[in-house]
Amino acid sequence: MGLVVGSNPMSMDALAALLVERFAGDLDDVRIQEPDTIVARCAREKLKDVAARLKADPEVGYETLNFVAGVDHGTSFESIYHVYSWKTNTWVELHVELPRAEPEVDTVCDIWPAADWHERESWDMVGIKYLGHPDLRRILLKDDFIGHPLRKDYVDLAENHPHV
Amino acid sequence: MYDQFETPEPDEAVKLALRRIEESTAHGEGSDAAGLEFNEVVVNMGPQHPSTHGVLRLVVTLDGELVKDVIPVIGYLHRCKEKLAERRTYFQYIPIVDRTEYLASINCEWGYVMTVEKLAGIRPTRRAEFIRVITGELMRIASHLVAVGTFTADLSPLGTAMVFYMFRDREQILDLMEELTGARMMFNYYRFGGVRYDLPDGWVEKCREFLEMFPAKIKEYEALVDTNAVFLQRCQGKGVITQQDVVDYGITGPNARASGIELDLRRSRPYSVYPELDFEVCVEQHGDIFDRYRVRMDEMRESLKIIEQCLDMLPKGPVQLGSLRAPYVITPPPGSAYVGQENPRGEYGTYIESDGSRYPYRLKYRDPCFCNLQLFPKLLSGNKIADAVAISGSIDLVLGGIDR
Repeated sequence: MGLVVGSNPMSMDALAALLVERFAGDLDDVRIQEPDTIVARCAREKLKDVAARLKADPEVGYETLNFVAGVDHGTSFESIYHVYSWKTNTWVELHVELPRAEPEVDTVCDIWPAADWHERESWDMVGIKYLGHPDLRRILLKDDFIGHPLRKDYVDLAENHPHV
Repeated sequence: MYDQFETPEPDEAVKLALRRIEESTAHGEGSDAAGLEFNEVVVNMGPQHPSTHGVLRLVVTLDGELVKDVIPVIGYLHRCKEKLAERRTYFQYIPIVDRTEYLASINCEWGYVMTVEKLAGIRPTRRAEFIRVITGELMRIASHLVAVGTFTADLSPLGTAMVFYMFRDREQILDLMEELTGARMMFNYYRFGGVRYDLPDGWVEKCREFLEMFPAKIKEYEALVDTNAVFLQRCQGKGVITQQDVVDYGITGPNARASGIELDLRRSRPYSVYPELDFEVCVEQHGDIFDRYRVRMDEMRESLKIIEQCLDMLPKGPVQLGSLRAPYVITPPPGSAYVGQENPRGEYGTYIESDGSRYPYRLKYRDPCFCNLQLFPKLLSGNKIADAVAISGSIDLVLGGIDR
């Protein structure tokens, strides 16, 4: 396969322009975070489509998922996908906002296999549900734990730890 | 009352393993030519198993000696590191970072401190940068020594000899670190904008002594291991990580480099003073157990080279920013930052979101072992159980980092 890091080097401005052009209407607020990351927002209905296209792009190809992070923003949740492009040696940070009443988003497991555990962790800690995930169990906490501790409204009660 | 003969209720992971067996038998794959159903057993390996190097638990489905399926179960060392960050100031949190990945704790500190510096727009002093590289590379050697030592003990042709030799050398590094920081493993040494203490008198000479002594030791270890027929037979061609696996699962560090990929964040996303230093990225081609071991040995040599250059180039000056003499209350502006740092095990990333207060709003680690462990079901299936132990040893897991 002969994987080389940075085989297609591009300036960040050119890369941002390219993404804005290819993903017009799908990626919002595209901005450059120095030195080598592009931060963008995406609607949750479009995530799966955007993810597949980001990965398959022949020029940039964000093929590796670095991590998924769930964040509680009070009125809403956010699922953050950090992906890496071997060709351009750059990162994209994809923010997907989810309503608090319904923190659900499609899984990207089938696109980036690495998402499997990261999504489980996000479910475990923040309680974001990844629809279509093959095995959405708790990962760091016990199976019978109650609640999602990294939510800002989480209160730690003895009842939450039935196994202790 | 406690009944020792009572069978406990299987937990989710065991249930999943049993379910998978049932599914595979239902599809007719489970019977051999004679129509006999095969005999799969679910074996629970860990969390207190000597070969898992920590509290890793593997629910292994075995067919005789053959590993059919592996379900890793983690979380036994979970200490809520990310939750703890919510109620601690940026400064108070530094000692807690040490305790995530305890074998290379100073590298974890480095990653965290760099992220906060990026958020707050602080540039550390030049002397501090060099001290950071020296300590970081010393701990890389120490960490690789533990990794290779325990891994050769798993393979057993050399017994535990290598562990003791390697721990003996690691001890010298820990002594150096103790003299510098006051602690042997949990250093609490990096500060925003610099490091806590300057190098004590005579430390540079002691460090140079170590640099002179150590290459001969590496040679000795290689003579012990590289020509050992039993070791080679157990290592070569086993547990191959392909480049596709690296791309799919986000494998980083020596495990990726052993598969022929020149991925090293010190080069590909340079930080600190690494662009000024001359070193090679160690790469091997086959991606098997032996290559992963070789990459670690070569990297120790490169680390020595880096430390030597840093000692030569070490500039004079303060080790902390004058304006931040007491950086106890640091309030980065609202925003987020991610910094990936080349830990001995791969990309150790810290993602911090700030809301402009004294406390991190959200802190998230991207741990290299967490990502590497995800490959286990694919990597171990189809191997003999004894090889599975060798493979998991060669991946070099630290459960403190995985469970956080």
